[in-house]
Amino acid sequence: MTHPDPKTRLTDWFRQWRSPLRKFLKGKRAVGASDLDDVAQEVFLRLMRYERTELVENPQAYLYKMASNVAAEWAIRSPRAKPHDSHWLTGLTSDDDPERSFSQRQVEEEVRRAIETLAPRQRRMLKLHHFEGLEYGEIAQRLSATPRSVKRVLTKSYASLRQKLDAQLLGDITDGRE
Amino acid sequence: MDASDRRQRASEEAASWWVRIGAGELERTEREEFVDWLRESPVHVAEMLRIAKVNDALDQFQGWLQVNTDGPDDEENVVALPELPKSESRPALPRTAHKRYWTGLIAAGAALLVLGPIGLFLGYRAHVIETDRGERREVALTDGSVVEVDPESRLRLAFEEHTRRIFLERGRALFKVAKDPQRPFLVEADGATVRAVGTAFGVEHRKQDIVVTVVEGKVAVSGKETSLPGPASAGVTTLVPAAQSPQDLLLIAGEQVRMPLSTSTQPLGKESVRKVDSERELAWARGQLVFDDKTVAEAVAEFNHYNRIQLRVADAAIGMRTVSGVFDASDPESFIAFLQTDTTVHVTRSGSEMILQ
Repeated sequence: MTHPDPKTRLTDWFRQWRSPLRKFLKGKRAVGASDLDDVAQEVFLRLMRYERTELVENPQAYLYKMASNVAAEWAIRSPRAKPHDSHWLTGLTSDDDPERSFSQRQVEEEVRRAIETLAPRQRRMLKLHHFEGLEYGEIAQRLSATPRSVKRVLTKSYASLRQKLDAQLLGDITDGRE
Repeated sequence: MDASDRRQRASEEAASWWVRIGAGELERTEREEFVDWLRESPVHVAEMLRIAKVNDALDQFQGWLQVNTDGPDDEENVVALPELPKSESRPALPRTAHKRYWTGLIAAGAALLVLGPIGLFLGYRAHVIETDRGERREVALTDGSVVEVDPESRLRLAFEEHTRRIFLERGRALFKVAKDPQRPFLVEADGATVRAVGTAFGVEHRKQDIVVTVVEGKVAVSGKETSLPGPASAGVTTLVPAAQSPQDLLLIAGEQVRMPLSTSTQPLGKESVRKVDSERELAWARGQLVFDDKTVAEAVAEFNHYNRIQLRVADAAIGMRTVSGVFDASDPESFIAFLQTDTTVHVTRSGSEMILQ
């Protein structure tokens, strides 16, 4: 992956880890909250078993690929291997299940509430990024801010949303959306 | 710093990494830093995954148009996040110096059974780790050391202020010791003590003997008489530094000593040390079985130790054949396939048993 053209390289860089990330988030076996720590533990062990030099090539790609693999493996393994996974397997109901869509509405509500606890500046930047799809640099231009402060504000926002969103919800958020 | 502070800090660091990664390709040194950060704790991995989920939730959020973004542009409510702490300023878990080596040695492959994550990671003080047949476990200890526990093993942990002590009551384990000169790491088996500061070594408590194999660094091995009297002592009774006591045997990387159980009170001679290929000798720690002219019967016994599916040899002639090779301990079927390459072996399954004849 040593393209001379930096632009192509950047596209590759994103493509190479965004796709494993999507797989982790949207896989048929999207990981529930109670399993996330277990998955992380197993991913951690796998990371330890890899050569550091190999991981360094594209760490995010490895991270999300391992996470989606672990989730998939646990889903197909016998219940013995992962005794408490039955509950989230049964939670994987079809999309038009009424209970499911109700919980999606709850998710929306929860996310809205969490966003509203943030400062106006944080909300502005999040909206530009996640709704209008602007990159950090573009946000900086739009708001006449420095890229550095955009990154700082977004970092702070994510950490704070992570604390505010209900733990169970964070696991369920993407289940059944695809 | 308690567990929830640690987690909060981890999620702030994860958020910071997320944003840095989203800003464009990371430099190699940054990627190295990121890999090291991930490999520092399962909590870091978990928080990174959670931050990904938070971002996904925001991408999916339908109500952005209704979100009110008006308001003063001041940053009063936006407390600046400290820069990512440098590794040496982070007190959480000592980074082991030899991770890189280990990742190579413990190359992928072994199927591990994993314990509940966080409690385990933060909580082992005085505890017992016990594995069943067919169960291998990798346990991260509070001091940053990692123990790989073989099936049918039992370890008792006693971590005190001045010593980190582990009793290997049966079975075998591989220890990757986090460096802490103030707190020697002691593994005791049948009265013999293996003392290390920061190194990696395997100890096997077998029927007839204790086997110590060193992969990295050095350890001091002593017989029963030099067992430590109390927790305050940093070494042997007379506080001699590691490996200075005459009864002690110093082992360096690639060396192995076997001590018969009955005579482990006797002084150990330098002649009992042999040079070994430690990677091969410790193949069990990464879930491999190495057979060097073993009989099929012996090989089957080894496989049975690692698996719930039990093999049984119903034909003595097959049992007496010899095999050599390296096998995945969790995959007896490939072993059977190997046997079938030059003889006819009939396999009958009944319940969790596979009968070879």
